[in-house]
Amino acid sequence: MNRRNGVTVLAVLVLAALAFALLSRVQGDGPKGADAAGVWWLLAGWVVLLWFVLGRLAKLEGRVLGLLAPALFGLALLYLWEILVVGWEVPRVLLPAPHAVGEALSARWGALWADFRQTALSVLAGYAAGCGSGFAVALLADRYKLLQRGLLPLAGLAGAVPIVGIAPIMVMWFGFDWQSKAAVAAIVTFFPMLVNTLAGLASVDAMHRDLMRTYGAGHAATLLKLRLPSALPFVFNALKINSTLALISAIVAEFFGSPIYGLGFRISAEVARMNVDVVWAAIALAALAGSLFYGLIALVERAMTFWHASYRA
Amino acid sequence: MTIMKPTRLLPALALALAAAGAHAQDKLTLQLKWVTQAQFAGYYVAKDKGYYKDVGLDVTIKAGGPDINPSQVIAGGGADVIVDWMPSALATREKGVPIVNIAQVFQRSGMELTCRNDSGVKSPADFKGKTLGVWFFGNEYPFLSWMDKLGLKTNGEPDGVKVLKQGFNVDPLLQKQAACISTMTYNEYWQLIDAGMKPEQLTVFKYEDQGVATLEDGLYATEKSIADPKMADKLARFVKASMRGWDDAVKNEADAVKIVLKNDASGAQKEGHQKRMMGEIAKLVGTGKTGQLDMKAYERTVDTLMKGKSEPVITKKPVGAVTDKIWLAAQK
Repeated sequence: MNRRNGVTVLAVLVLAALAFALLSRVQGDGPKGADAAGVWWLLAGWVVLLWFVLGRLAKLEGRVLGLLAPALFGLALLYLWEILVVGWEVPRVLLPAPHAVGEALSARWGALWADFRQTALSVLAGYAAGCGSGFAVALLADRYKLLQRGLLPLAGLAGAVPIVGIAPIMVMWFGFDWQSKAAVAAIVTFFPMLVNTLAGLASVDAMHRDLMRTYGAGHAATLLKLRLPSALPFVFNALKINSTLALISAIVAEFFGSPIYGLGFRISAEVARMNVDVVWAAIALAALAGSLFYGLIALVERAMTFWHASYRA
Repeated sequence: MTIMKPTRLLPALALALAAAGAHAQDKLTLQLKWVTQAQFAGYYVAKDKGYYKDVGLDVTIKAGGPDINPSQVIAGGGADVIVDWMPSALATREKGVPIVNIAQVFQRSGMELTCRNDSGVKSPADFKGKTLGVWFFGNEYPFLSWMDKLGLKTNGEPDGVKVLKQGFNVDPLLQKQAACISTMTYNEYWQLIDAGMKPEQLTVFKYEDQGVATLEDGLYATEKSIADPKMADKLARFVKASMRGWDDAVKNEADAVKIVLKNDASGAQKEGHQKRMMGEIAKLVGTGKTGQLDMKAYERTVDTLMKGKSEPVITKKPVGAVTDKIWLAAQK
């Protein structure tokens, strides 16, 4: 390893050792707040060193090495959160430290996992229904121009409906269980899918369409062989947007009447009981699930639209 | 007449200013537990009839609503005194928010579980396997204690009960989504009747009759406020005027209803509903020493909350959660 890399490795080791030392100093009976001035000065120096290391790491190429910089950045943020909350004795009901959130996550894992399963059910069902119906209606509207003129404004209205308004109505229509939350997620994901699919179908080059016409291809063949593949980048765009939208709307819908499990229920009930660390644990779980969902769709997109200009760097 | 020297006016001006200063009212903010309705008639009567002004207080009454937990409001500094239920207040106290009961307005509990007869529930023994609705945001504690006393698990196991987090309406019962829902004697029960259900179609289980009643509407302030002599004096004056307002409201229900409707900024309350509410509320407010906390009732509430085997509402006996210092000062 050359000298440059050696310096980077040494810097990372110093970062880790100093981080550990500073945190141990303020934990437990150690000095807090203004009394720990020395710690805060050293922490400022630590941040400068971190900046230097991140700059070096960000230049690395490769599947694994390329992840080092973001991973270090994430860990550093968690560390700063922990040391600042512990060092300044921030009240637990205001902002719990990461270790408190971790404790809540492990202590209430059984309930949180059951909550996650309930919410995941609503999210996946609603996502499938919303995206599926959005796609189907887009195909219809593309075929029959009159539908496009009439439906698009209405679909726009559906997309603008506030979740907090539609959720109680869905509960009245579909009951308290996951069905009403899935209905809300379906309504919210319908419009982005419809609009993006229509835009994708319309994005085909006029020359390519003419070519299919010279081959004598009918509407169905043109759709299947030319226009749908062309529309894929747009469709995946909508699928990615909808993944986070469906999760958010299902969680919010659970605020308005649910059985006593579900991530939205957990958040609303525990915030009322001032168990803010459990709230953060539920949030962390939801954020992780949402990111994984989004990442999965991005991976599928990469596999199916490898030919698109954006991947040919 | 000789022109008065301006300095002659100074003593008169000083006197006028001093007099104005003496009339300056101390400000106080009260956070209610729910929206403006006859449940809080005493405070609105005290404000409208000038009882607060008489003791030198300028009181701002903040209405509550869905998602507003009074204990959280006072923890965040949004109010000086709040109306809250004792289970919620004790649980919040255990979480580290130092609120203390300074007066207990309601001596009896108005909470009940209302069931449809056609769901097959005739007694608490029939709860097993049924769906029951309860509000959260601090109102679930008496219910959870009762289920624990009956030995019914609330996590959806087949032997227990399925619990719904009901919204603040009675639709789950009307739509048969639940066999029973939580109602207050003074509010939701009458919403069911107004919606067309007949009393013969419903079976009501009052928490008082089941022996699981907990203390409801009471006044709470922070330990810091009570320890500060100026603030404690303001609180004592507030309690004095509020209890006067409550005595008045209970004696003159019709007046109280008019005052509540006048103060309802949303305009959503109807006179008929408020008249019934005021009648029921009057039954819950203690007669005699209005606002005094009955220590036996307090001990009963604490016992009910601690008895929960699986999920006790509070785990330790509360220390310093109630004080009679303010109420006694208010009697002077």
